[in-house]
Amino acid sequence: MRYALLVQGGPYSHQASHSALRFAEAVLARGHHLATVFFYHDGVYNAARLSAPPQDEPHLLDAWRRLHEDHGTELLVCIAAGLRRGLLDEREAARHGKQGHSLEAPFELTGLGQLIEVGRSHDRLVTFSP
Amino acid sequence: MILHILNRSPSASRVFQQTLDAMGPEDRLLLIEDAVQGALPQLVRYFEPVIGRLFALREDLASRGLDGRCDSRVMVVDVDGFVTLTEEADKTVSWF
Repeated sequence: MRYALLVQGGPYSHQASHSALRFAEAVLARGHHLATVFFYHDGVYNAARLSAPPQDEPHLLDAWRRLHEDHGTELLVCIAAGLRRGLLDEREAARHGKQGHSLEAPFELTGLGQLIEVGRSHDRLVTFSP
Repeated sequence: MILHILNRSPSASRVFQQTLDAMGPEDRLLLIEDAVQGALPQLVRYFEPVIGRLFALREDLASRGLDGRCDSRVMVVDVDGFVTLTEEADKTVSWF
């Protein structure tokens, strides 16, 4: 089956991101395709490029990246939620006259309409909220 | 059949009531995160209407020191069982 996850909880402040990652690994272990993870609300902070947690704690950013590298999972970030919270890729940073950028591939800024499409095009969409 | 997923303890939030109100006769309920407290004998009464289709996530019970303390009528599943529940359901709804 094609699975998608919706992550709405901020990293290191709620369990949502950890619950979603644990579920993601179980989905893959059972032979399903984890096609998409969509980050919305405070969940967009999962994509912060400069995230540097202590070495003895789970590295959520790297864990999401690994899903993309190993399984081709698309990592979509709501652009409206991201821009509000200072999560801009190079293009958006330039467009808004900001120095530096806080989000990079494999994370991808996208519109909320994409979430509707994800709900339509995947077999299962499971939401993890704060 | 819809799998409803709840992450709030019935002792801290009333959202469980909305969950129960929204559930159809065949729907199932999985307690995760702080909601696993609802699987304890002291709190399981809140979920009386869905006994027999009430599940709790083992990993979240264990991380709270509650593994083995559930009411015997609650079905405890690990994260693989969580995936299975989503396979068996037509769709899932999360309550928070």
